[in-house]
Amino acid sequence: MSGNNPWGVDLKIAETVGIVGVPPWEMMRERIEKGDEIVDLDEPVPGFPVRDGYLPTNYCAILKRVVSNIFSLREAGRLHRVIACVGDDKCDGMRHIARWLSTATDIPVERVRNDSASGYGTPICESHLPLRAKFELIVEGVFRTPRPPEPLRKAAPRCGFWGVPPADFDVLELFPDGTHVYGWTRCMENKTPGDFELECLVDPGVPTVFFVQSFCQKSALAFNLAKKHGGLFVEVDSRLSRSARAKIEAFIRFNAAAADTR
Amino acid sequence: MKRVVVDGGTCYTKLHYLDSGRRRIVPTRRFFQSRNDYRVAAATGHNAHRTARRRVNELVALAEGTMRLVPDDDFTVLDCGARDVKYVTIKGRRVAAMDWNTECGAFAGQMIDLLQRYFGIQPDRLPRDSKRIPVVCGVLGMTYLFDRVSQGATHEEAFAEFLRGVSHNCESLVGKPDRLYVSGGLCMNRAFLESFSCEVVPLGRFVLVEGLLSVVGRRGLGFDGP
Repeated sequence: MSGNNPWGVDLKIAETVGIVGVPPWEMMRERIEKGDEIVDLDEPVPGFPVRDGYLPTNYCAILKRVVSNIFSLREAGRLHRVIACVGDDKCDGMRHIARWLSTATDIPVERVRNDSASGYGTPICESHLPLRAKFELIVEGVFRTPRPPEPLRKAAPRCGFWGVPPADFDVLELFPDGTHVYGWTRCMENKTPGDFELECLVDPGVPTVFFVQSFCQKSALAFNLAKKHGGLFVEVDSRLSRSARAKIEAFIRFNAAAADTR
Repeated sequence: MKRVVVDGGTCYTKLHYLDSGRRRIVPTRRFFQSRNDYRVAAATGHNAHRTARRRVNELVALAEGTMRLVPDDDFTVLDCGARDVKYVTIKGRRVAAMDWNTECGAFAGQMIDLLQRYFGIQPDRLPRDSKRIPVVCGVLGMTYLFDRVSQGATHEEAFAEFLRGVSHNCESLVGKPDRLYVSGGLCMNRAFLESFSCEVVPLGRFVLVEGLLSVVGRRGLGFDGP
């Protein structure tokens, strides 16, 4: 967890603010200008492994991580406030969790909805970069301007990955470079996380894996989009299983001849 | 040392001896106990990574193996193993669709084998017109099965309903074709095959081995074939 001032100004940290989802960009800018430190609670926090017991066993691995991060960071005195997205821009699960958190902890939980319709574009999603690098940049871009390691070049899609940032980024290593990103992650980069039309956008003819976390309500959407577009529906829980890995490898091999994953 | 190609499944390992062409099925645990007796040219299956450096994806092996055995231009093959089921649909001798139930729905195959042995059930004594119980996964399906027994169903009736639940899941997964080719351990189980509503053609337990021979032989990776 480090300071994250994108403008290079030495500012004193006022509060450590945990965020869930993609809060409005202006809100993030204000927080950073105030000198707050932002922690993305959807992501692993080094030194704080996920602890069970706060949510049912069969529940979204991302939200289990969010809640565990909140309790662990609070116990360590490293969290002052939570900004949680609870609208159409996030998921039903977080809406219920945010309500419960406000009664179960002493941390102020600010419930927000990001219904921004001002698109910032999706150059990372359509670039030549390896898929994992794309996701790291897009996640970073939730509260600061991402800095790609090299200038972005637009690439023709060889494959598609539709979905949210996975709990286990190892799944992203299975895809060839230049794989385009669709679904909610594309909405994240565009800073319009509630844009359902953009979330449903795919390139017809591009072999696409429709990925969801196990126990996520978005699986209904992913399942039916996969059927409509002849893609592959894949659910993964906290870790990529060997079966899920082999299934994705085979799909890419059958559909993108150049990608021999064996 | 015997030279083999291996389909290393969860419960059973299927071996093809390259020098003699002989084939054998051994429990996977026993295979690993004598692993040093073999030189494995290539492998597929859940345990392939423990078995050989040269590995072939299971769905690739299934597609290639079935095309060696089935002359049809268009068909669907379903591989029913202990741990999961997977299928490939071929159109014009090319892969048109594929899927693999990786998590929910898993272990139904192993449960069929275990339950049949545990209850001592004879397949020809199962009722032919049973309903089905939901088999979300092997364990949840078994819970429903025992609920049915406690409601007064015989073990044969409850087991037949369990089989119908599994075969219904399989048919839904593959898109309900008129004819379905089936491979893997469960294709030797008559009770299971008879629980399908479509025509079922069993291909045996060596389909993935056929695929291995096809892929590895074609690539010429230092492999001199059977």
